[in-house]
Amino acid sequence: MIRHPLAWGVWAIAVLAAAFIDRNPYLQALLVLVVVNVFLPYRARRRVGTWKFAVALALVPVLFSVALSRFGQHVLFTLPAIPIIGGRWTFDAVAFGASTGLALLLTVAVFAVVQSTVRSADVVAILPRPLYRAGTTLALALAFAPKTLTAFQSIREARQLRGQRTGWRSAPALLLPLLLTTLERALQYGESLDARGFGSGRRSRYRPLHWSAQDRLVLLTSLAAIVAIAIVPSVPYNPYLELVPRVPNPDQLVAVGLLAVPAVTASLSRVDHAPHHA
Amino acid sequence: MWLGAAAVAALIAACLSIRPAHAAIHHAALVIQHASGSVITRCVAFAEDQISGLQLVERSGVQYEAQDFGSIGSAMCQLDREPSTVPAGCFGAGPYWQYFHRRGSAWQTSALGASSSLLRDGDMDGWHFAAGTNQAPGNIAFSSVCAAPAPPAGTATQAAPAANHATPIPTATPAPSPSLEALVPSTSPPPKAVLTSTGPPTQPPQATALGPWLALGSTAILLLTLGAVNLRRRGP
Repeated sequence: MIRHPLAWGVWAIAVLAAAFIDRNPYLQALLVLVVVNVFLPYRARRRVGTWKFAVALALVPVLFSVALSRFGQHVLFTLPAIPIIGGRWTFDAVAFGASTGLALLLTVAVFAVVQSTVRSADVVAILPRPLYRAGTTLALALAFAPKTLTAFQSIREARQLRGQRTGWRSAPALLLPLLLTTLERALQYGESLDARGFGSGRRSRYRPLHWSAQDRLVLLTSLAAIVAIAIVPSVPYNPYLELVPRVPNPDQLVAVGLLAVPAVTASLSRVDHAPHHA
Repeated sequence: MWLGAAAVAALIAACLSIRPAHAAIHHAALVIQHASGSVITRCVAFAEDQISGLQLVERSGVQYEAQDFGSIGSAMCQLDREPSTVPAGCFGAGPYWQYFHRRGSAWQTSALGASSSLLRDGDMDGWHFAAGTNQAPGNIAFSSVCAAPAPPAGTATQAAPAANHATPIPTATPAPSPSLEALVPSTSPPPKAVLTSTGPPTQPPQATALGPWLALGSTAILLLTLGAVNLRRRGP
């Protein structure tokens, strides 16, 4: 499996470049397939919340675009002269919003993949020495947010089980135990860092992070995809000028195909992660 | 495993072998109607798949002054020496150059500036110097602009001025004052940038439309197959 954070970082940059440089819907659909394909073999558990957030984020630009834009030739309907939303609602604006929304959905999906595949400890490990302390602090701070949210939900559930209120009126009763839990966790983090000799001198690793053949392959193909995306001339999709998108040229398809290499290597892997039902 | 790898290699090879017909010559028409009613037309040939409205004017060889308005595109301040002096802020208070695209048998107001609108083979742009809104140029068909007898192959000439098919440029238009000419440098292109043709589209390119679609479909099917394989695997 691909593990090196740098390989995943370059892959993520390549996908985002492809998603934002040319917002052709055909390419975006292929990119969604690529990202889902890469996500599937690396998924640890169901992340329905992330996908719900991504879909919601994709729908917002559609609503804004269709409600606020008055450009376009393909009129869906015309509203009376209501401030802001009155006038022609066009399909061109829907298409423009959809292409923007898909780009946002791809962004969330790419970060979901990176979050599933990259360990924060590995990211900290490849940081340059001057950034080590700041990186560790940032990683801990980022890890703190979901832990705090989980603690909040636990406290809320505990109150519900006792038949107590959980609405906004009970906020002080919720926040006090949350504060105590958070402080306790912070102290535990501090003691853990102290026990591991954080900041005392040169660091060592029990399992150094090496570049595997798959890591190198993903890095090279992602770099090739970035170069191809940057070099291949393309006319960015603009539904106001031409509603029906053009079929992507073969070079673009090859670039998108290169981004699916992590999924291909995972599918060709001899290690079978499928659950044994026998 | 090897079958899958071979399929991917075959797809990449197929994709690389398909090339769009960039070398084909396309044609777009330009109609310019002055306030006096006189009309000039140009048939411009271009090698690219599409060009902008501003490039069409540039390559037609007609004198123009344009002002860039950022994401909206460029506005036409002066076209074919009309108005005689470029107004302050490009538009001035009176008539201005209104920009249209030919859609079917009617003119349609352009939602974008000339630098942002794109023309492909067979498209036609119209400019009308008039006051008010939606003052479209006269009814002119594309075939009447690009319908002269077809010249022999290879007569599309570099550095040749575009042909004027209709009413000549109005002579009553006064020449711009020299002082303003000095202040506003001409944006007309050098002659070598002009690729024009006086004839109709010479054998419209018969691009193989099936190839790109096949490549797109094959890529999608491959990715879906890959997804089905990966769906059976559980994460680490």
